[in-house]
Amino acid sequence: MGYEWDFGIVLRNADLLLLGLANTLKVTGLALAFGLPLGLALALGRLSPRRWLRAPVGLVVEFFRSTPPIVQLFWFFFALPLLTGIEIDPFRASVLTFSIQSSAFFAEVFRGGIVSIERGQWEAAKAIGMARGQALRRVVLPQAVKRMIPAFLERVIELMKTTTLVATVSYADLLYQANNIAQRTYRPLEVFTVAAVLYFVVLFPLSLSVRGLERRLARSGETTAH
Amino acid sequence: MDHVWDFTSVIASRKLLLIGLLHTVELGVLCLVLGLTAGAFVGAARYSRNRWVNWPASAFVEVFRNTPALVQIIWFYFAFPILVPIDIDPFLAATLGLSLNTTAFAAEIYRGGIQSLGRGQWEAARALGMTYGQQLTRIILPQAVKRMVPAFMNRAVELMKMTSLASVIAYGELMHQAKTISTYNFNPIETYTVVALIFFALIYPLALAMQQVERRLRRSE
Repeated sequence: MGYEWDFGIVLRNADLLLLGLANTLKVTGLALAFGLPLGLALALGRLSPRRWLRAPVGLVVEFFRSTPPIVQLFWFFFALPLLTGIEIDPFRASVLTFSIQSSAFFAEVFRGGIVSIERGQWEAAKAIGMARGQALRRVVLPQAVKRMIPAFLERVIELMKTTTLVATVSYADLLYQANNIAQRTYRPLEVFTVAAVLYFVVLFPLSLSVRGLERRLARSGETTAH
Repeated sequence: MDHVWDFTSVIASRKLLLIGLLHTVELGVLCLVLGLTAGAFVGAARYSRNRWVNWPASAFVEVFRNTPALVQIIWFYFAFPILVPIDIDPFLAATLGLSLNTTAFAAEIYRGGIQSLGRGQWEAARALGMTYGQQLTRIILPQAVKRMVPAFMNRAVELMKMTSLASVIAYGELMHQAKTISTYNFNPIETYTVVALIFFALIYPLALAMQQVERRLRRSE
């Protein structure tokens, strides 16, 4: 093929792409900051002995895990404002969607980790007079979190990949910026290739560290929760 | 606010939704079959001791696992046609992106499943005089595939959700139909709610079946 690659165009728009990358990281970071505590709350709800709490929380988690995130995003962006009368800009809709969406997955990681801790740990904590909450905070979670770290990082990778959807509601993330530049310069090949490379450069080291951690945990005789 | 839910315009559009659902299932099943098949070869290639085989396979897997599926689909739709002299419609672009993405994840499942078997299985098969191919197809794979089933089902769940990304390049699957319906009827609340429920009804049974299989396997091993 006689196509002449020209990355000069990408270089001249590097500031726009980097701004997009920063926005991608911002949405990912915020969704993570809200999604983690919410995920823990959902996990505890699902593990609750009270049926009236366990059943609805389970339904919420399963619903958000079993529907496409783009449908969720469109619902929060187009339907929720009409239902509530509150204006929601693309940024808020994105953070809201991905906080809830990722929390459903984090809930399962937390739950898996907590369940993986042997009953004896709970019983021992109870024997020395701890309440259930204390046993969870002081004995079970500190041990469980260690096992969960690889699964968490895995979810962070998935979350960052999923945030590309915000481009479809016109939030200026990396993909959105790339699309704009590609349309303006008629150079989709270079621009989208570079955008993919930028995602890869952020995500690949994360993937490698997941594998490194898993290996190290396996060596120290720890199981990892998935 | 006091929104009055009204599903009549969604019900009137049921034909569009049904066509979308068919396209979603079609795309999902096609990419699953292609991905699981090609994944076996890529997984085997990653297992090879020959650097010329194993290195490109690893690069392929890492690139497709560590970039967003939406970027892959858009790349195949807008960028790839510049490199190849063929017309690429939304269906072909989505199929390429999603089946290669599934290939990369499936390759890792095959590799993990095969590695999970002890060396003794290979050695015992060799001691019986089996060739490498016989060891793999008669001894290793039958045992490994059983362990891989939940992971494959998980891929199917992820893939069915990912098919909705094809709406971004205007392939007429369920999500794209929803966009069309809500734009014509100004009923995003009802349309996106119904479409979310359809996806849930499609995907949740798969997720449940996966949990069931996982539980049964754990008990038997």
